[in-house]
Amino acid sequence: MKNILLFLLFYVALLVTPALAQERRVTGRVTQADDDSGIPGATVQVKGTTRGTQTDASGNYSITIPPQGNVLVVSFVGLAAQEIVIGNKSEINVALASDSRSLNEVVVTGYGTQQRRDVTGSSATIKASEISNLPVQTFEQALQGRAPGVQVTQSSGKLGAGLQIRVRGAASISAGNEPLYVIDGIPITSQDVGTTTTEPYSPLADIDPNDIESIDILKDASASAIYGSRASNGVVLVTTKKGKSGRTNVNIGYYTGFSNPTRLRQFLNRAQYVELFSEAAVNSGLVPAEEFDGNGIDINSKDDVLWSEQAFRRGTVNQLNFNVNGGNDKTQFYLSGSANKQTGIIKANEFQRNNLLLNLNHTASDRLSFGAKFSVARTINDKTPDDNDFANPVQLNALPPLQSVLDPATGELNNRTLYYNALIEITDAYNRATTYRSFGNLNGTLRIAKGLNFRSEFGYDLLNQQEEIYRTRRTESGAPTGFGYQNQIRSLNWTSNNTISYLNTFGDHAIDALAGITYQEQNIQDANATGRGFPNDQFKKLASAARIVGGSSSETGFSLFSYIARINYRFRERYLLSLSGRVDGSSRFGASNRYGVFPAVSAGWLIHEESFLKGNQTLSLLKLRASYGLTGNSEIGNFSSRGLYSAVFYADQAGIRPSQLPNPNLGWETSTQLDIGIEFGILRNRLNGQIDVYSKDTRDLLLNRPLPGVNGFTSIAQNVGSLRNRGIEFSFTSQNLVKAFRWSTNFNISLNRNTVTKLNGQPIEPGSRFLGRVAVGEPLGYFYGKKFLGADPQNGDAIYEGADGKPTSDYAAAISTKVGDPNPKFIAGVTNTFSYKGVDLSFLFQGVFGNDLYNVAGFFQSVSADYFDNQTVDQLNRWQKPGDITQVPQVRLYGANGSQPSSRWVQDGSFVRLKTVSLGYGIPASLLKKVYLQTARVYVTGLNLLTFTNYTGYDPEVNTQYASSSNQAANVTLGHDFYTPPQQRTITFGINIGF
Amino acid sequence: MKKQLIYSLTAVCISLSACDNSLNLQPRQSIDAATALSNDQDVTSAIVGAYGQLGSGSLYGTDFLLVPDIYAPDNYVTWRGTFASYRELALKTQTNANAEAQRIWLASYAAINTVNNALASLSVVKDADARKSLEGEARFIRGILFFELVRLYALPWTAGTQNQQPGIPLVLTPSTNVEQAATQIARATVADTYKQIVDDLTRAVALLPTDNSTRADKYTAQAFLARAYLQQENYAGALAAANAIIVSDVYRLNSSVTAAFRNRNTQESIFEIQQNDQNNAGASNDGLTTFYASIPTAAAPIGRGDVQVSNTFVATYDPADARRNELLYIGYKGGNRVYTGKYTNFGDNIPIIRLAEMYLIRAETNMRLNSKVGDSPGNDISLIRARAGVGPIATPTLAEILRERRFELAFEGHRLHDIKRFRQSVGTFAWNSPRLVLPIPKREVDVNPSLIQNEGY
Repeated sequence: MKNILLFLLFYVALLVTPALAQERRVTGRVTQADDDSGIPGATVQVKGTTRGTQTDASGNYSITIPPQGNVLVVSFVGLAAQEIVIGNKSEINVALASDSRSLNEVVVTGYGTQQRRDVTGSSATIKASEISNLPVQTFEQALQGRAPGVQVTQSSGKLGAGLQIRVRGAASISAGNEPLYVIDGIPITSQDVGTTTTEPYSPLADIDPNDIESIDILKDASASAIYGSRASNGVVLVTTKKGKSGRTNVNIGYYTGFSNPTRLRQFLNRAQYVELFSEAAVNSGLVPAEEFDGNGIDINSKDDVLWSEQAFRRGTVNQLNFNVNGGNDKTQFYLSGSANKQTGIIKANEFQRNNLLLNLNHTASDRLSFGAKFSVARTINDKTPDDNDFANPVQLNALPPLQSVLDPATGELNNRTLYYNALIEITDAYNRATTYRSFGNLNGTLRIAKGLNFRSEFGYDLLNQQEEIYRTRRTESGAPTGFGYQNQIRSLNWTSNNTISYLNTFGDHAIDALAGITYQEQNIQDANATGRGFPNDQFKKLASAARIVGGSSSETGFSLFSYIARINYRFRERYLLSLSGRVDGSSRFGASNRYGVFPAVSAGWLIHEESFLKGNQTLSLLKLRASYGLTGNSEIGNFSSRGLYSAVFYADQAGIRPSQLPNPNLGWETSTQLDIGIEFGILRNRLNGQIDVYSKDTRDLLLNRPLPGVNGFTSIAQNVGSLRNRGIEFSFTSQNLVKAFRWSTNFNISLNRNTVTKLNGQPIEPGSRFLGRVAVGEPLGYFYGKKFLGADPQNGDAIYEGADGKPTSDYAAAISTKVGDPNPKFIAGVTNTFSYKGVDLSFLFQGVFGNDLYNVAGFFQSVSADYFDNQTVDQLNRWQKPGDITQVPQVRLYGANGSQPSSRWVQDGSFVRLKTVSLGYGIPASLLKKVYLQTARVYVTGLNLLTFTNYTGYDPEVNTQYASSSNQAANVTLGHDFYTPPQQRTITFGINIGF
Repeated sequence: MKKQLIYSLTAVCISLSACDNSLNLQPRQSIDAATALSNDQDVTSAIVGAYGQLGSGSLYGTDFLLVPDIYAPDNYVTWRGTFASYRELALKTQTNANAEAQRIWLASYAAINTVNNALASLSVVKDADARKSLEGEARFIRGILFFELVRLYALPWTAGTQNQQPGIPLVLTPSTNVEQAATQIARATVADTYKQIVDDLTRAVALLPTDNSTRADKYTAQAFLARAYLQQENYAGALAAANAIIVSDVYRLNSSVTAAFRNRNTQESIFEIQQNDQNNAGASNDGLTTFYASIPTAAAPIGRGDVQVSNTFVATYDPADARRNELLYIGYKGGNRVYTGKYTNFGDNIPIIRLAEMYLIRAETNMRLNSKVGDSPGNDISLIRARAGVGPIATPTLAEILRERRFELAFEGHRLHDIKRFRQSVGTFAWNSPRLVLPIPKREVDVNPSLIQNEGY
C-alpha cells in the first residue's frame, strides 16, 4: 500500500509539467425546450474533465475550455442532458427537453461511468431528488417501490434497525443475501459488525441520505461481474454530491414532524377477558376465580387497562441540514452538515445523527487531477429490546387488562403483573449504541496519453461503536444489584484501487477499456465487559461494579486481492459489446481454492439508430440487450475453511479444543445469470419503458454436511446446494403532460420465482416454533407444517388435515404440508408527479403481493385462551356449542386446543401502501430577490400514510429478528412476526432555502 | 511516455506481491489445527480444554447429574419447568429427538475427540512426568465419559450374563480431517465397553500422580473405578478401590453437611467441576443452580425452581437430620414446595465424587461380601450419620446402608443408576426397561446407519 502512495507522489513530481494552455472561452444560454425560458442552475461541464460551471438566474453561462476538451455536457435535473461538440464555436445555446430517463444520462458503473445509451447490463438508478428530505434513518428505506427487481423490507418500526434487501431474489441459503454497498468507489461495511442484541444494527444509518447524488443498483452479471465474488446479491453504488464550479451556493433545509404506528391490534378489554377466560376455565373443569387468583389476577379488579397501547407514543422527527458548494475551474468543493433527531413510536426508542461531509476536487494540470472526500458521522441509537424479550414493550399486549399499570400500594410501576411489566424497562434501563463513523477517499487521475488515464485511489471506512447497557435493580435482569455492560467495536475497512482506462474512437469503432488491481482488507475488533453489584442505581459505569462477571475481546477480518478488467466496444454507434471480469483472491477461501474467476459478456443493439428507424418520431428508442456471466457470493464467514482449535474455559484455567474441521476446498457460491432486456421510447421518448427477463442459477451453495458426532464434529460446511431465481422486471415512465401543468407517471412491477434445486440430501427443517423450511423444488423459506382447519363443529376441538385428507383432532397424526410462501408473487410501485407554477406534488404507492405471513406470537395471543395472555379480539368468535362453524376452537384454559405450530396463524401478507406523499411550493424568484434568496421551497411529506391489507397483525411489512439467530435462520425464516413493532407513519413539514 | 508506462507497471508489480501475502490472514480467537498441539504446553491446554468440556451443561455441568435423577422421579422429585426435554424424561415420553439425549451424546464425543487428539500428540511432550500425567488424565476423561454414556444409552450391565447387548461406539483415535470425521463407527457391546472403561481408568490410576491440584489425580481415577466396578457388581473391586482412597488419608469428611456445597475443593472432595462467575454451566437456561434452586431474595429469586423435591421423599429423613434441615428448604413460590440446597450459586463448584460416597461404597461392599475391610459397615455409615446429626447404627442391614446412600447422595446423579443396579423399578418401568435407556440421537442414526437404535425409538 505504502508503495502505491509513494509512487503516486513520485508521479506527481515527475509529471506536473506546465500545461501549455490554449484555453478559450465559450458562452451561451441554457433554455427549456418547451417554453424557451432560461434555466438557472443548469450544469455545464467539459466532458472528460472536472471543469464545469452553472448557469446564472437567467440561464446564461460562461466557461473556459481546457485544450483537451472538445465536448460540453449540459444537464439539469429532470431534463435530458445533452452533449455538444464545441469545435470552433464560442457561443453555444442549448435547449433542454424534458425526459426523465434520458439516453445521454451518465450512469455510474463499477469503477467508472457510462452513457445510458451504451449500457448493456441491467441496472436501476435512483436520483437524489427522489429520496431527499424523506424522514428515514437509512437511505435504503427510501428505495422501497422505486426500483424494479429490488425488494426492500424494513423489519420493524424500530429506529436504526437493519433492513432486508433482495436484488432479484435471495441467492443463498446460509451465506449473506444482502447486496454489496460501494460508496464513491469504495466498498463499505454495510452489515452489522457484531452488536450484542440480536437486532442487527444498520451501518448504513451513518450516511446522511441528503448527501447522496445518486444510487445505482447493478442487477445482472454484466453490470456486476466486475465486483466478482461479492456480486451475486447485486451491487449498490452510492455517489455522493460533489461541488461544481460557478457561484457559491448555500442551502439550508429544515424539517420537523411527528409519527404514529401504522397499525395497532385489538385485544380483549376487561369484560371480554373475564368472560373468555372464565369460560375457558369452566371448559377445562376448573373454577375461574381460583385460576385467576392462582396466576395473581384479581377477577374482581376494576382496572381496564389497554396494555397493548402502552408500548407506543407519538414519535417526533427533526432535521436541520446545510450545504455549501461551488468552486472555480480548478477546484470545486461540496461541504455539508446535518443534525437529525428522531424519537420513535416505541417508548424509549431514539435515533440521533450528526454528519459532516467534505468533497474536494482539484485539477492540477491538464494531466493530473485529484479528489478527496472526508466525512464523519455520529449516531446515537437508544435501542428497543429484542422481540423475544419480556422487556420488549410490544409484549405488554400479553398482560391482562385487569392488572393496573401502577401498583396502588406504592404508586410505582406495578411489578406484580402476569409477565414482566416492560414499562419498568422503559424508565429504568437503557441500551445505547453510539457510533462514530468516518469515510475517506483520496484519489488521483493522471492522463498518460490521449484517452489513456491512470487512476489511483485509496479509501477507508472506519466504524467505532460503543454499546452501553444499564439496567437498574428494579428491572427483571438488573435485579438484585444492577446490571451494566459495555461493548466497543472497531471496524476498519480499507481499499486501494489502481486502474488504467482507455477511451478512444477510431472511425466507426469506439473503445472504453479498463484494467486494474484492487486490494481490500477489513479488520474488526471488539472488547466488552459486564458487571453486576452496583452500590445504587446512580452508579452506572463498570468502575462501580463490585463484580465483573464477563469480559472478552476478539478480532476478525478478511482480505481480498483482485484483478479487474472490462472492455466496452461500440461499432457504428449502434452495436455494443462488453466483456468484463474479475479475479478474486480471498482470505476466506480454502487454501486449494484461493482464486475465483468471474467473467461476463453482454451485447446491445440500438435498433433506432438503424436507417429504417432513424428519425422515427413514434418509435424513438429501441434497444435490445443481453448479458451472461458469473458472479460469486463470498459472505461465507471469515475463517470457515480453516481447521481450528478454540479456547474453552475451566473456571480459572483456559484450555483448547478442536472446534472446526479444515476444508481446504471451501469457496464462494457461484451464480450464473442470463439477462435479456429491451428498452423502448415512444413519441420522442415521452413514453419510456424497459423490460428485463433473467434467470439466475446459483450453485455451490454453502451447506452443512452432517457428520457422525462420535468423531467429535457434527458438520462441515461444503459447497453443495443449488437454487434458481427467475423473473421479469418491467418499468415504464410517461410524461403525461408537459406544458405548464406537468404530470409524469413512473410504474414498475417485478416478479421473481425462487426455487431450491439441490440440497444436501435432506430438507432444512424449521426451528421449533417456526414454519420456514428449505426443500428441493420449493422456494426458500416456504411455510411447512400442519394445516389448521378450524374448530370441529361437533366438539370444538382444533382440527387439522389428516394423512387421508380428512380432518383430524390428533395433531401428531396430521400431515405436514406446504401451508404458505413468504416470497411475494410480485412487487410494484407507482409514482405520480405533478407540478404547476411552483407547486409540486408527488406520491408513491408501493405494493407487495401474494406473500404469506406467519404470526409466531399467535401461540400466545390467539390461541383459544390457552394461558392467561390477553387474547386478540378474534378469539371471541370461539366455538361454543355443537354446530358452531368457526376458525377458533373451543376456549380451554391450559387445554392446548390448537396451540401447536400450524397454519392457524398464517395469513395473506399482501399490501398496498401509500409510501410517500410530498407536496411542495417553490416561492417565485421575483419575491426571493427582495430578500437575497436564490431558492426557497416549503413542503409537507407523508410516509406510510395509508396501508391496505388483509393481514390482521400489526403491520404486513415485518420480519422478526427473533428467528435470525444465524445467517441461515435469517435467510430461511422469512415473513415471521413475533411481537414486532409496527412501522411508523410520519408526517413532516419542511423548508429548503438557498442563498 | 514509455518511461511513465514502465513506472506504472513497476508500481503494479510491487503492490501485487505485497498483496498476495496479505491473503494469509490468521484467525485470532482460534488457532490453526495443524500446529495447535506442538509442545508440552499445547497438550496440557487440550487436557484443560477437555475438563472445560466436562463442565458444560451437557455433561457434568447439568445433565450427568440431573438426568439420572429426573429420569427416576417417583417419590423423589417433580419436574415443574418449561423444558420439554426434561419433562419427557420425567414422564418417559421421550422420543429419538430428545434434546438432552442429543446434547449429552454430542458433547461427550466432542470431549473424547479432544483427549484422543491429546493422546495422539503425546510424543511432543518432552517432560516424561508430564507426559505420564497427561496420558493418565486423557484416559481418565475418556474412561469416565464412556462410563456415563454406557449407563445412559445402553441396557444395564447384567451380572451373570455375557452382556452382549449394544453398548456405545468406542472411539479411540482423533479426527483431524473430514474423512476421519465421516467414519461410521458401530456400537461395541456393553461387555466390551466396560472392558475399555476399566482399562482406561486402571491405566489412569497407574499413570496419574497422587496430587494434581484441582484436576484428576490417582484417587480421582480410582474413585470412578470404584463406581464402575460397583455398577458391574464387582464388589471386591469396588471395595478395594474405595478402601484404597479412604486409607490413603488424603481426604477427610467435612464437619458439616453443607460444607462441600458452599466451599470449593474441600477436604472431602475427590473430584469436582471447577466453576466461577464467568465460566459456569449457565445462569438462566442451564446449570444445576438454574434448575434446582428456588431461593427467595429481596429482589429476583435465584434459580427457576424447576426441580421440586417430593414431600414424600423429605418425610423419609429423620426430623433431626441436618441433610433435611440444612440442605432442603421452602422455595420462593412458597407453600410447601421444597428444593434442594446443594446447588445455590451459579458460580459454585459442582462436587462430583466425595469421600462420603467411598465410605458408603465400602460399607455396602463389605456388607455384601460379609467382610470388614478397612472398617465395619456400621462404623462407616455411622460416620456419615454422625455428621448429619443422627444416631449411629451399629449393625445396619443392607437396606439401611442403601437408604443412607440415598439420603447422602440425593440429587447428585445416582438415582437411576442405583435403581438399575438394585434391579428396582421406576414407576411401572422395570430396571431393565428400554424406556429407561436414552435414545441414540436421531441425527446420529441418520448420519451413521451402522448405529443400532435402542428399542422403542
